[in-house]
Amino acid sequence: MKKKIIKEESSCSRREFIKIGGAVAAGLQVGAVAGAGLAAGKDPSTHTGWQHLGDNTQFVDRTKLVRKGPAYKIVGETLRPEMQESAFGRQGLIMRDIRQYREMIRSFDAGEERQQGMGNKQPAPQGETAPEVTGGVGPTREEIKFPPVEAFNEPMLSYYKSRPDLYELDKVRMEEIMPKKRQDRENYGDYYTLINAWSGSWRTSERITEPPEESDFKIGHNRRIGDPKPFKSPAHAARLIKKVAHHFGAAMVGITTIEPDWCYNYDLRGSDNRGTYEVPKHWKYVIAFGVPHQWEQVNSNPNSGTSFDAYSRSTIAARRLETFIKSLGYPARRHSPMDGYDLIAVPYLVKAGLGEQGRHGIVITPETGSNFRAAFVTTNLEMEIDQPIDFGVKEFCEHCQICAEICPSGSISTAKNNEGMNTRGYSHWEINQTSCYNFWMQSMGGMGCRLCLIACPYSRKSNWVHSLARKLDTNDPTGLVDNGLTMMQKKLFDAPEAHEYLPPPDGRFANFRQPPEWLQVKNYLDIEVTDPTIGD
Amino acid sequence: MITNLVIFAFIVGLLSGAVIIAAIFWAKDLGLFMNWWKWLLFAFWYIVLLFLIFAAFTFIGEGEPVAGWRASGIAVFVMMVLGLGLIRLLRKAPKNSG
Repeated sequence: MKKKIIKEESSCSRREFIKIGGAVAAGLQVGAVAGAGLAAGKDPSTHTGWQHLGDNTQFVDRTKLVRKGPAYKIVGETLRPEMQESAFGRQGLIMRDIRQYREMIRSFDAGEERQQGMGNKQPAPQGETAPEVTGGVGPTREEIKFPPVEAFNEPMLSYYKSRPDLYELDKVRMEEIMPKKRQDRENYGDYYTLINAWSGSWRTSERITEPPEESDFKIGHNRRIGDPKPFKSPAHAARLIKKVAHHFGAAMVGITTIEPDWCYNYDLRGSDNRGTYEVPKHWKYVIAFGVPHQWEQVNSNPNSGTSFDAYSRSTIAARRLETFIKSLGYPARRHSPMDGYDLIAVPYLVKAGLGEQGRHGIVITPETGSNFRAAFVTTNLEMEIDQPIDFGVKEFCEHCQICAEICPSGSISTAKNNEGMNTRGYSHWEINQTSCYNFWMQSMGGMGCRLCLIACPYSRKSNWVHSLARKLDTNDPTGLVDNGLTMMQKKLFDAPEAHEYLPPPDGRFANFRQPPEWLQVKNYLDIEVTDPTIGD
Repeated sequence: MITNLVIFAFIVGLLSGAVIIAAIFWAKDLGLFMNWWKWLLFAFWYIVLLFLIFAAFTFIGEGEPVAGWRASGIAVFVMMVLGLGLIRLLRKAPKNSG
């Protein structure tokens, strides 16, 4: 009997233990899920458009690796580096002296007496003349015949006398390695067509100073493009161009055909003609792409944001892509924020299937919402084209109106839909550009506004919640999800009222969200500031 | 990243096992008349609760604390109401139980 009671007590306590343990486990599970939610929300890999980038500037915590003492032990007289000590710097000096040597030999050959030596004492700028550095066509064997040590000017003369080993190495490079490489390029160069185009594309930076008939057919200002390399098919061309555009920095890429109506009717870049012009015949295709704004700062628009991060990135991508296409023998011209456009951005983005035009007049894409800046390259490279897309933006914008309600200048229409709106014969949402621009001039920070761009529900962070919401919305034909999401957006997510973004006294230079800590003066600079955003 | 996910899934799996075993004892001791569809309803309620907490804390994590706390409040309220309804349902004896 006693044994049975003990057994029952033991059983009871085990039972209680399991019950309490289960309750604790449930609590822990709730905590784990909450923690996972926090991590999912913070995750930098969900920064819209930047999903491939992390948040950290260092991969390893170096504070644990710090060692005491100077970086290097001093073992002799310390000296600053001279140009001739570096192989790249020396190449510039060598080429200068070789040119003079060659000139001198030619002069003798021509019977002219030039015995004053190789006068120029100014070294050529580093890298200017080194074929390996510039990537240009190298000199011929005759041109690069390496002079004897005594024929060099200072500082090379003294340097080679002190370092005969390097003289020999330089001689081998110039007389054997480089001519051989030239020969190798002739033999195998085609095999490396794409990598050469890719590599050369990263070096582009020249401004457009000539009309399309000239500049579109040159790499840089001088080198004419070669014969066009044939593609297997337009689909192959499109696939390759999209792939490299992504690698050059584009978040999304589409291809379409040129539409003269959407090319500006004035000021063709590089042309002296300030008036109208005929759209160049080699502008047959338009490659349209977008680059998102840096995620952390884009939310602090309009007064603590900027357009120039994405402007710059999309421009660089456009320069690279233009050079890449030219390197394959096709004329190309970039149209980008920092280099200017000869065409209108929005309709080409829509036609190329990147997104739909929203109530705020700009394009909303499935990848980045409105958070991106566009650039384009026009070319005659035949590519498979994309078609416009529909992922429910038209209907969503009719319900939503968040951008119109938050716009500090009231530039965005609050009409039920865009019926009756007519822009140069095309029907789409219109905004009041002038009142919008007037607010740009009022705003602080990087100037401009971009509030509609970031307040748009499609621009929210690409974490699982918002991605799921966007997917549901796109696939819901009833409009219920549209309405539900818009309501949640307005009820859950706070934002300052439209007038608060204005300058005092009407507003307080508010931002949609606080700037990231690394853009707040108080965290880094020791200066007195007056914070207008606090208000009264 | 994958390693973290695996560890997280492992821990949550262990906790789920403990919750399931304890739930059986709780149901008996609370005098609930459970059958398969009632267990299914309870599991659904519990998963929705976790899902809503996950969503609310995702908002907080992404730098939208106001939205996160509002969503938490709404979720807790709605789930409590549903939970009370569910308890009443679970307490009901099946008609054929005599």
